[in-house]
Amino acid sequence: MDPEKLLSSSDLLVKIETVCKRRFSAENDQNECYVYVIDGLKADNFQRLRAFKGKSKLNTYLYSLINALVVDFRRKQYGRRRVPAGVAKLGKWAETVYRFVCWQKFTFDDAYDFLRVEGLYTGSYIQFIQEIEPIKKAPCRENPSFQSLDETGNSVLKNINDVGANPLEFLIHKLDNERRIKAIKVIRATTAALPEEDQLLVRLVYGSDQSVTAAAKVIGLAASTAGKRLKRLLTKYREKLLAEGIREP
Amino acid sequence: MGKWMNKTINPSVVPESEDHILIEDLARLAEGAVDAAERQHLIGHLNRCQRCYQILQETLVDVSAEASMQPVSVPWWKTRMFYALAVSIVLVLLIGGPLAIKHWIQSPPVIVASLDLDQTLKDILLEDDALRWEKKERINRLLIALQQRGLEVKDLNLVLLSKPYYQKKSLFGPKEVLHIRIENEVAYLEVKEKD
Repeated sequence: MDPEKLLSSSDLLVKIETVCKRRFSAENDQNECYVYVIDGLKADNFQRLRAFKGKSKLNTYLYSLINALVVDFRRKQYGRRRVPAGVAKLGKWAETVYRFVCWQKFTFDDAYDFLRVEGLYTGSYIQFIQEIEPIKKAPCRENPSFQSLDETGNSVLKNINDVGANPLEFLIHKLDNERRIKAIKVIRATTAALPEEDQLLVRLVYGSDQSVTAAAKVIGLAASTAGKRLKRLLTKYREKLLAEGIREP
Repeated sequence: MGKWMNKTINPSVVPESEDHILIEDLARLAEGAVDAAERQHLIGHLNRCQRCYQILQETLVDVSAEASMQPVSVPWWKTRMFYALAVSIVLVLLIGGPLAIKHWIQSPPVIVASLDLDQTLKDILLEDDALRWEKKERINRLLIALQQRGLEVKDLNLVLLSKPYYQKKSLFGPKEVLHIRIENEVAYLEVKEKD
């Protein structure tokens, strides 16, 4: 394999472009990502491409490599960003809210729930609404509608996802604030207590929306076996949730 | 992606070691090409390292997206085209079958036409005054003349003229029309003056 030739091939360049477009919505970020990945592949006389030993398919290797560079790029991007001083002085909880809403485009309501789960905020919801006023006024390049959030009483950027195929997500979605926080804690604790393989299976299928077939391959199971195992695991989650008095409303 | 579950059960952001999984090992894991002991080790790391987990899960997304965009090679008899063709043939047989049978059972269609009597047709008619044409050569000349004028006649065995045809003297006389009726490869001809 000639790494220089490989890097100039349209196939690899299209792969890089596709991955960057898939990971970033802003055109500027996509372009920066593209350049970052190309530079990363060229670095040290194509060291990353030369590291390929032929143990996996070249195609999968290239995607893993591009994604590794994209993950690094994203971290650098986030690392460069600064939470506005006016927000930072309010404390860690406010920084977290800013990150969630401005950078990750969640709603303030979602941010409140996440804060409660993480134990970063103990106040009531009414209190929270009052205390986020200065955060709402902070500038946010990544999310221009940030300042107008909740102005209408609705969450403008309510991140409604397709939850139908994900029973745990579906349940969490339907719960009210208090029970949602409780359910998240139960699910997190139940997941942490699972055997390593099952943890990864649940993470891939219910945390990252991977197909059962793809997750089964990673775990080293047949897709049908993985499907049965997931059913068994869902029963376990259900039992734990019921034990905490959480049921579907 | 389910935002709640994603936030709830993704690997925690505990300080990560610098000792990440090699890219090629992640690729092998995505392909399911690792042995049991190695897999156990890699899975243990993935449950604790957000970076490696992210690379793996994004690789799975990209590989599967690429695979879904590539045309899958399937045997020709399993292709859509084949099924569409098979269905088309069945439909043609179902719909067209009875019509074809009817067509075969029925007698050949009768052709009726009226043609302006031009010089070529006149020459054929004037060849002799027989009302029943039996000379194959003359019949063929008429057949070709009719075909050239757009009549879909395949063959003629006999031509019957209603009355003998004679050339009109007047240069500006009334135009003449040849009325033709063809049935069972027999042509019935009649010349009439045009109104």
